[in-house]
Amino acid sequence: MSPLVLLVKTGIYLLMALSLLAAVGVVTFRNIFHSALALAGTLLGVAGIYLALRADFLAGVQILLYVGAVVTLILFAIMLTHRLGDPTIPQANKQSGPALAGLLILAALLGSLFLKTNWPVSEAALTPVTVRVLAKALLGEFVFPFEVVSIVLLAALIGAIVIARKD
Amino acid sequence: MLGVLRGMGITLKNFLASYVLPRRPDSLETGGIVTVQYPEERLPEKENFRNFPFLVFDGTVDNIRCVSCDICAKECPPKCIYIVRDTDSEGKPLKRPKVFDIDFTVCMNCGICEEACPFDAIFMDHEFEIGGPERQKSLVYHRDDLLKSTAHFQKIRPTDFAAIEERRKKDAEKKAAAQATVQAAAQPKPQTPPSPQP
Amino acid sequence: MDPIFVNSKKALLNLFSAFLPDWTVVLVSIFISIGAIMVLGPFTMMYLTWFERKLLGRIQNRIGPNRVGIFGLLQPIADGVKMLTKEDIVPEGADKAVHLLAPIAIVIPSLLVFSVLPFGRNMTAVNLNIGVLFFLAVSATTTLSIFMGAWASRNKFSLLGGMRSVAQLVSYEVPMVLSVVPVILAAGSLSTVDLVESQGGWNGFKWFVFTPWGFTAFITFYLSGVAECNRTPFDIPEGESEIVAGFHTEYSGMKFALWYMAEFMNVFTVSGLTAVLFLGGWQGAPGLPSWAWFFIKTYALVFVMMWFRGTLPRLRVDQLMGLAWKFLLPLTLVNIFVAGLWFFIPDLRWRVGTAVALLGLTFWALMALNRTALPEKRTYEFAE
Repeated sequence: MSPLVLLVKTGIYLLMALSLLAAVGVVTFRNIFHSALALAGTLLGVAGIYLALRADFLAGVQILLYVGAVVTLILFAIMLTHRLGDPTIPQANKQSGPALAGLLILAALLGSLFLKTNWPVSEAALTPVTVRVLAKALLGEFVFPFEVVSIVLLAALIGAIVIARKD
Repeated sequence: MLGVLRGMGITLKNFLASYVLPRRPDSLETGGIVTVQYPEERLPEKENFRNFPFLVFDGTVDNIRCVSCDICAKECPPKCIYIVRDTDSEGKPLKRPKVFDIDFTVCMNCGICEEACPFDAIFMDHEFEIGGPERQKSLVYHRDDLLKSTAHFQKIRPTDFAAIEERRKKDAEKKAAAQATVQAAAQPKPQTPPSPQP
Repeated sequence: MDPIFVNSKKALLNLFSAFLPDWTVVLVSIFISIGAIMVLGPFTMMYLTWFERKLLGRIQNRIGPNRVGIFGLLQPIADGVKMLTKEDIVPEGADKAVHLLAPIAIVIPSLLVFSVLPFGRNMTAVNLNIGVLFFLAVSATTTLSIFMGAWASRNKFSLLGGMRSVAQLVSYEVPMVLSVVPVILAAGSLSTVDLVESQGGWNGFKWFVFTPWGFTAFITFYLSGVAECNRTPFDIPEGESEIVAGFHTEYSGMKFALWYMAEFMNVFTVSGLTAVLFLGGWQGAPGLPSWAWFFIKTYALVFVMMWFRGTLPRLRVDQLMGLAWKFLLPLTLVNIFVAGLWFFIPDLRWRVGTAVALLGLTFWALMALNRTALPEKRTYEFAE
């Protein structure tokens, strides 16, 4: 293994470790604002993993939508809550039992998927998923789900307007 | 929309004109740089500009007009003038100040001392660049620091100087005439015999 | 003259490859590019402050800084020394860690976006095939940093500035992204290098700005870009006359300088990206090297931004939101449609005619719909 590959691999593992660390931070920080910031860190780490997997477009969209918009909206929502940063408010509710059960079920599902898939390992470099390929897939093969998602988004938009209107 | 473009045009015109037009520091017309780079350049002082007061002497430094009447010290709103009358060797008071201090940290440049002075001895100066390394002492000006000649006064405020000199001359003439009549009244007059009683 | 920077990097790499193993040469190559950006970014920021002060001074019939060095050219260095030696004040009750992280976190995206700007022929630090998307995505994260700084200061004015900033940046993100779409349609690529190359030809004047949809997108993109940089007339997040200094009220010394650094580097990169997308990037008439063309165009756009600042008063919050949502957004949507039609209509006259007619109609309709009712002129019976 050349030193360069070693360096890159270390970088990727470091990135994964950092995003996991941030994910732990999301659930353990006492201050909800810090949790939100840690969530942004996790999402950035995930974007980095996408980059490492040669899914450039996905990484870009991940940063643009999740870090740029979703986390910002979460922060905005936090700002509108009362008693922000009060350490006496518990950050966790009493639902840890059901949550653990849900997590176990998810883990079992994912595990079975991992076991079922046969993982082809080849020395050839991954072909990067270009925007062109993605666009052809979205507007060709998967055009129906794509349009359904558009309609769902449109419905959400109209719903937002209906809720926001005062009459 | 058009208003925005017109505004942009005006600023662009100012921007370009500042490179093209000559500098005109004392004009309010648009275009041309109006900055005066103060320590190196300065605008000519206006004659009616007035700042801290100074004491006037006629000719030589001994010839102070101030008679230490204390009127200015009494009139001064922030009470920044302090005067002690001079005495001769026998303790007899003289018509000149021994101490004449003005605290420029307190002076508010109102010019009331100049208006109040009946002897035309104190006037407002054009000097404004005073300063000191500490808060108190160097800005208390003493008699000798304050003394300036009539020539200086004539130089900075020629119109006022001319008017005041005119008045002083008239006053002096009037005084002389009055003195003459007083003297004439005091003396017996042999040339003119008293008018015969009817 | 043209490949001077590329050749000097090559020469440097040859020098290193003489005595270093191959894999380190790759690292050295990366570090040279990073180093160039790390020098260029702050240097640009320093001299943009000087440029802005000079320009605003001239607009206001003043001279501007001229004391430190000839033409005041050393002024930014003097300011830097001042900033470094200032006391770093952290407010009581502030969130210390986030307060420290926020100015650092805002400089990172501002520096990162330099890496996809093509400064000249073969002078892009990283030729990502999602270059434009990378630029937009990374610059979208500045919202987060601004909000971090605003919240961590524990100051009402800071928080107000942060809220305004988030509202503004999220709103203007939308027309900004949408006005890039026609250009990407035309070039068929997201890479900044491909975008510039697709505008070549006709002696360097086949720029997108000379098409109807390109011109519209240029205006909408540039306006949204000015808003993304928080610059006048869109500087409500830091409006001095309203909320002290907005999100950076509680910052002093070098932390404050970092906020300013990010703002000025954003000015440069947004102008640079506008030049790349619409003005042909480094394409231009032969005679000048390609990087000179890029810098001329970028600085012309920077000039216009500062010219805006010298001219226009700050918008009100509702006007700002109205401009984004009621004017720029519909215009960009129509513009995408027009750009699509442009590639369907084969005849040149027809396509220009339809595009101009559609865009003109939209512009007129939006102007008419957005016209605010002027209040009736009041008469005062007893005032005279």
